[in-house]
Amino acid sequence: MLRLRASRGSLGTERAQEALAGYSFIAIPMMLFLVFNIGSLIYSAYISLWRWEILGPTDFLGFRNYAFILRDEVFHTAIKNSAYYTVIVVPIQMALGLLLAVTVNQIWRGRSFFRAAFYFPAIASSAAITVLYIYIMNPDGLFNHLLQLIGINPFGFHNQGNWLGHQDTALNSIIALNAWTTSGTMMLFYLGALTAIPTEVYEAARVDGAGPWTQFRRITFPMLAPAHYLVAVTSVIGALQMFDQAIIAGGADGNPNYSLMTVVLYLYNAAFRQFEFGYAAAVGIVLFIIIFSATLIQRRFFGSSDWAEAR
Amino acid sequence: MSATIARAQTVTAEAPEPDENPVRQRIGKTVVYTVLILYSLLVFVPFLWTLSTSFKTLPESLQLTWIPQSPTSAGYITAWTQLQPVLPVMFGNSFLLALLVTVTNVFFGAVGGYAFARLRFPGREVLFLMVLGTLMIPDQLRVVPVYQILVNLGLVAPGPQNYFGITLVLAISATSLFIMRQFFLTIPFDLEESARIDGAGFFTTFWRILFPLARPALATVAILSFQGTWNGFFWPLIILQSPNHWTLPLGLAQFRFQYSTNWPPLMAVDVVATVPIVILYLFFQRYFVSGLSAGAVKG
Repeated sequence: MLRLRASRGSLGTERAQEALAGYSFIAIPMMLFLVFNIGSLIYSAYISLWRWEILGPTDFLGFRNYAFILRDEVFHTAIKNSAYYTVIVVPIQMALGLLLAVTVNQIWRGRSFFRAAFYFPAIASSAAITVLYIYIMNPDGLFNHLLQLIGINPFGFHNQGNWLGHQDTALNSIIALNAWTTSGTMMLFYLGALTAIPTEVYEAARVDGAGPWTQFRRITFPMLAPAHYLVAVTSVIGALQMFDQAIIAGGADGNPNYSLMTVVLYLYNAAFRQFEFGYAAAVGIVLFIIIFSATLIQRRFFGSSDWAEAR
Repeated sequence: MSATIARAQTVTAEAPEPDENPVRQRIGKTVVYTVLILYSLLVFVPFLWTLSTSFKTLPESLQLTWIPQSPTSAGYITAWTQLQPVLPVMFGNSFLLALLVTVTNVFFGAVGGYAFARLRFPGREVLFLMVLGTLMIPDQLRVVPVYQILVNLGLVAPGPQNYFGITLVLAISATSLFIMRQFFLTIPFDLEESARIDGAGFFTTFWRILFPLARPALATVAILSFQGTWNGFFWPLIILQSPNHWTLPLGLAQFRFQYSTNWPPLMAVDVVATVPIVILYLFFQRYFVSGLSAGAVKG
C-alpha cells in the first residue's frame, strides 16, 4: 500500500530498478556457480571424450575412455572396495545413529551434554582424525594395548596387530573409524525426527500394554521413515565419495595391496599422478551415475518423495 | 501406522494410566546411562590419548600410560621448528584460507540470499533452483574441469595467486546462500519498504537494515565456512602447489608418511589442528547444529 502511494507514476521504472538490483546482487555468486558447478559438469562430460593430458586435448576418443575404465582391473578393485565399504558402513552408521538418538532421547538430565559429546568427533578434520586413528591402531598402539589388557593377544592374529597395515583388516578398520566419526551427525538427524513424534502415541501404546521394545518396533521405527531416508541417502553419498581416510592411511595406491583403493582415490590417481584428465573426467561421470542411481534406488526403497516436508 | 495414531488420539481423551513399575524403570534408567557413559568414553578417549601423547617422549608414546610420566614439550618444539613447512606457517595458512572463505561466503551469501528472498526479478526461481541443484554435483565430478579452468587462469602455480584460485572455488556454497535466503524470508517486508520510501537505494537498505538483523544466520554461515575450510582436505590437496602454502590437514597427511612413527610431534600437529575447532564448538555449539539441519535439506 505504501509502495503504491510512493511510486504511482514510476511503477515501471521502480520494478526495473528492483530487477537490476537483484541481478547485480546475485551476479558474482551466480557466475561462480555457473563456472565452477554447472559449467564444470558440462566441461567434464566434454573432457571425458578426449585424450586430454596436462597440455590439453590431443585425440578425440569418443566413449573409449569409458571402455578403458570398465576394462581396468584396478578400477574393478576400486568399485569392489567402494561398494563393500558402502554396504557395510551405511547400516552401521544408521543403527549407531538411531541407538544414540533413542538413548539420548530417554533422558532429561545431561541430555544436551551427551548430544554435544556424541557430535564431537564430527567437528574435527578428517586428516586429524585419520592420523590419530593410525596411531591408535598401530601395532604398539592403544587399541592393541587394550586388547592385551582384556586378555586377547593381538599378535596372534594373522594381521600381527597391524590393523591398517594388513590387507584383510585395513578397509574394515576404516569402516569402524567412519562409523565412529559420523555417528553423531546421524544421531542429530534422528533426534530431530524423534522429537517430532507426538508423545500421545506412546502414552496410548503404554495404555495398551506395549513394552519399550514393542513401542520402539511398532511406533518409533516406522514413524522415523523420513529420517531413515535422509540418513541413508546422506550416508550412501558420503560413503561412495570416501577418499581422505583412504589416501592418508594407505597412500595414493590405497595400500596395503590396493585394499584401500576407492573410486575417488582411483580418480585422483588418474588425474593427478598420471595426468590423464580425459580418463579421470570419465571416472567422475561414472561415479556421478553410480551416486545418482543409488539415490534413486533408495527413493524407491523408502517409498517417500516428500520426506523433506515430513521433517 | 495411521491406525495407531487414530487410536492414540481417542485413547488420550480418557484418563492416562499411572506409570509402570518403579523397579523396571530404574533398571531402564541404569541401562540408558551406562550406554551413554560408555559411548562418551569411546568419543573422548581417543582425543585425550592424542593430547597425552603430544606431551610424551617417543619411547613412552608406545606404552600404555594415561598421563605422561615425564611430560615434555619436545613434540611441539619439533613440530614448531623442524617440520617442512613448520607448524606456525601451516597454522597461518589454514587461518588465512579459512578467513578468506568465511568472508566471501558471508558476504556473497548475504547479498545473494537477500536478492533471492526479497527482490523481484525475472528468472529468480529458476536461478535459485539451479543453485540448489549444484548440491547434487559431487566435488569429484568437478575436480578435473575446475583444475583445468584454474590452470587456464594461471592460478595453479606456487605464489599468492594460488590462494586466489582456491578461494574462488570455495568462495560461495549453495548451503551458505540457502541459509541466508531462508533467514531473510522470515523478516517482515514493511521494514525495508519504509526505508525505500525515504529514498534509500537497494544496497543501502540491505546494508543498513537487513544485514545487521541477520546476525544469527550470518554466524551460522561464518562458523560452517570456517570449520569446513579449516578442516578441508580435498581442494587444498588438488590446488595448493607449494609446501609453503600447505594447510594443517595437508601437512598432517604428509608428515604421517615422513615421520611415520614419530608420534609425539605428529600428535602435536594433530592437537594444534583440532583445538581451534574445539574452541569454536564450545562457544558456538548451537550454530553447528542449526547449520547441520540446514545442510540436511540438500539430500
